[in-house]
Amino acid sequence: MAGIGFELRKILKKKTLLSIVEAYGLAGLISSGPWVLSILALLMIGIVSLGEFQSYVLRQFLILVTYLMAGSLIISGLFQLLLTRFISDLIYLKQENRIIPNLLGAMLVMTLLSAALAGAVLAMAPEINPLTKVIIFSAFIILCNQWLILILLSGTKEYYRVFMTMLMCYGLMIGLCMTVPAYGLTGLISIFTLCQALLTFIFLYHIVRNYPAKQLISFDFLKSDKVFYSLLFCGFFYNLGVWLDKFVFWSRAETSHQVFSIFNASYIYDLPIFIAYLAIVPGMAVFIMRMETDFSQACLNFYDAVRDGGTLNDIYLLKDKMVLACRHSIYEIFKVQGMTLVLLVLWAEDILLALDINLAYLHLLYVDLIGVSFQVLVMAILNIMYYLDKRYAALALTIFMALSNFILAHISIELGPLFYGYGFTLTMLLTTIIGFIVLDKQFADLEYQTFMLQRS
Amino acid sequence: MTKEVDICLLLEGTYPYVRGGVSTWMHQIIKGLPEFSFHIIFLGSSPELYDEPAYELPDNVVGFEMHYLLSAEDKAMPKPSAGSFNLFQSWQHFLSFFDKCEEPIPNELLSTIADFIGQKDRLTLTDFLNSRASWEVLTSNYLQQDANQSFVDYFWTYRNIYQPLFVLASISQSLPNAQVYHSVSTGYAGFLGALCRQKSNRPFLLTEHGIYTKERKIDLSQASWIKDKHNLIDVSMHKNMDTTRQTWIRFFEQLGVSAYHQADRIVALFEGNRQRQHEDGADNGKTQVIANGIDMGRFAKAYVRRPRSPPMVVGLVGRVVPIKDIKTFIRTICGAAKKIPTIEGWIIGPAEENEAYAHECQLLIESLGLEGKVKMLGSKDVAEIMPELGIMMLTSISEAQPLVLLEAMASGIPCIATEVGACREILDGAAGEDASLGSCGEIIPIANPSEGTCAIVNLLSDAEIWRKTGDIGKVRVAKYYDQVLMYDSYRRLYRGAVDGGYRL
Repeated sequence: MAGIGFELRKILKKKTLLSIVEAYGLAGLISSGPWVLSILALLMIGIVSLGEFQSYVLRQFLILVTYLMAGSLIISGLFQLLLTRFISDLIYLKQENRIIPNLLGAMLVMTLLSAALAGAVLAMAPEINPLTKVIIFSAFIILCNQWLILILLSGTKEYYRVFMTMLMCYGLMIGLCMTVPAYGLTGLISIFTLCQALLTFIFLYHIVRNYPAKQLISFDFLKSDKVFYSLLFCGFFYNLGVWLDKFVFWSRAETSHQVFSIFNASYIYDLPIFIAYLAIVPGMAVFIMRMETDFSQACLNFYDAVRDGGTLNDIYLLKDKMVLACRHSIYEIFKVQGMTLVLLVLWAEDILLALDINLAYLHLLYVDLIGVSFQVLVMAILNIMYYLDKRYAALALTIFMALSNFILAHISIELGPLFYGYGFTLTMLLTTIIGFIVLDKQFADLEYQTFMLQRS
Repeated sequence: MTKEVDICLLLEGTYPYVRGGVSTWMHQIIKGLPEFSFHIIFLGSSPELYDEPAYELPDNVVGFEMHYLLSAEDKAMPKPSAGSFNLFQSWQHFLSFFDKCEEPIPNELLSTIADFIGQKDRLTLTDFLNSRASWEVLTSNYLQQDANQSFVDYFWTYRNIYQPLFVLASISQSLPNAQVYHSVSTGYAGFLGALCRQKSNRPFLLTEHGIYTKERKIDLSQASWIKDKHNLIDVSMHKNMDTTRQTWIRFFEQLGVSAYHQADRIVALFEGNRQRQHEDGADNGKTQVIANGIDMGRFAKAYVRRPRSPPMVVGLVGRVVPIKDIKTFIRTICGAAKKIPTIEGWIIGPAEENEAYAHECQLLIESLGLEGKVKMLGSKDVAEIMPELGIMMLTSISEAQPLVLLEAMASGIPCIATEVGACREILDGAAGEDASLGSCGEIIPIANPSEGTCAIVNLLSDAEIWRKTGDIGKVRVAKYYDQVLMYDSYRRLYRGAVDGGYRL
């Protein structure tokens, strides 16, 4: 989210209720926007097109898109943090002209990586016709690149344009799905790919227009100091960790069924978790708001005092303020996400009824709602660790999360349908608790580590 | 303890790598005392500053080692560690002496410290840099000393100041087996000498050409790398020097005091410096003066070739740098030229060291219309050029015991020098028998061209007086500044130390 903090602080300075709503809305949009919008769009497509398509076509389409989303988030996770950090450093060094070449460099590497993966997976699916394969292949590459482009989008400070673009493209997607039903799965997936491509290229256009550049392409982001490779794996394991339980449910015979070629789905598991993800929007908005304004400012103040001649007491004091800002952020996430959770638990039955979803999902939805709420806290903890430059601790935490999610998902399947979803929720709970303990130690030790463990 | 040598020399940033007064003298002493064997421990700042030695080591130098106080650190990622609480307690006690620099570090503490710092499993450099115990000492010292100063500046000052002590301690843990340790300055080399004294229980001699601590104070008060945090409103900040500078100065003062305290004999070049050493904490009974000496034979020919009447040339032999105050010399010649139209001023010495200053001097010559009268000749053989000079002049604002005056005197040339360092002692003689010889030139205040002009006119106006004044110089040099005398003094000093005469 390079550069969003500044814009948020600017909006907040206006100090009106509307400006606060605006800031929260912006934060929510930027943090969870595309992902949540995708889920919303898919739900919309599912509902509005129910009559138009045969239900199995729709189901195939939905599961395909889910796989595309999961795969692209995990693969692009490799570069998301690395690139965010690299670009933040460039902005700090006032070398904005190196941003575009490196983004394009990262996109090139990402394209090759995602092409290789998509090619390999599609080669194992002989039932899909070649045309559809080509379209799926393109969609995957486009999505992978879109996640990278999104990192820079907030820096362009054209939030309304971004929002309108998203609205337009997803609107177009739903509209086209309703009006061109004749071509079945290939048609649907083509519309999806087309709209995503449109979105990606418009975003790219915004960014390229905003940053000057002296060269076309550069791979400096890979050359930078070796230590940043830990960020590569942080991003990868985080996204993998988030998706592993779904993959387990898709691969186990007890809980999955084949939808389309090699793509399995899990009737019982999938729908509740995706609806639950819609519940993180308020938590994410608060998280981004607090992190990128109060906490990041406190963090900057601390490091300024360290660098520019603050006294030791200043440094102690500013660290305490940073801890306080951190505590406030977490507390606010707790409050807002907690309230959201309570309301959604109360309304869960009505929501399922309104969406015409079987009430058998209700129990699982409760568990998932709690799980995704913890996930917001995990994100907040990881983000603080990145601010404190504790990359190895963050890496250890994400690896733990991935492992735990994988193992507990298997165990929950063994224990039976009553326990579905507990694997994910327990993983997020454990990760949150461990994260808090580690964070507490890191804060306690911060001055010592900042000074005595630097490389001169 | 390996092979046996007579004298271990502790040299900081001078011989044999860097040319200059001290290095020339060191080379002279080693060559002049072939009956002693020498081992040289050279302390440099960092490896890239020294490539080729400037002097060829004489045969009686049997050992040579180089150590760098600011050695390149390894690139490994530092790891957190606890560090020994007890050892860091002694370390903190040791550091407390650097805050109260009048009191030398006690013998036992010095030898304990020399034993455990830099030792594996005791208190290593890594412990000093990375351990929690070290952090505790650092922060508690900071809070005690001045909790209002910039912490990051304090942190780096602390590291930069104390880190070299680890190098010194590890040198002292594997010393050559020498009869005598001889340091040619205080500062780091002097402190190493103090450690040597404690570790080996052999005599430690200390010779100072300048006053190291004073020179460091001047350096530090002008150092631009230390950020001054002067606040326009806070007048008290202006009054006191920046804390960082003070910390550095106190550090060097303590190094000096401890070196004086540990030294068995302390040598100054001239009486003025000896008194200064005493003021700075050297015991009167330990101090003595051994003047630099010159090779009289080298200037015998110059004296023979001296003309009967003075050449109208005033020479200044020295580098073209601000400390020599070349500009005052140029203005002095400008004044003298009004009285003696034929007069010339020759600046003999390299101008490369400070090109900006040399350029300013050139501009001054041009603006005073002295082209052709004041010449920058670059480096020349001093013995060759002596007979062409009427007066040897020094306008320096700081000197120790300038050899060039002795050389001019040996050639029978009268001298004019500013009242700095040993100049008055050299020209007028030390009180007593020496002074009764008379004066071989004139002493003038610093930065005073009109006094200089008067002195030139006085000395050059009468050929008889000119020759007589020059002859007094020759007699004084032969009697007090012959290098043979210097060799004898050092021979006695070394012999006495080797024989155990100075053991306390």
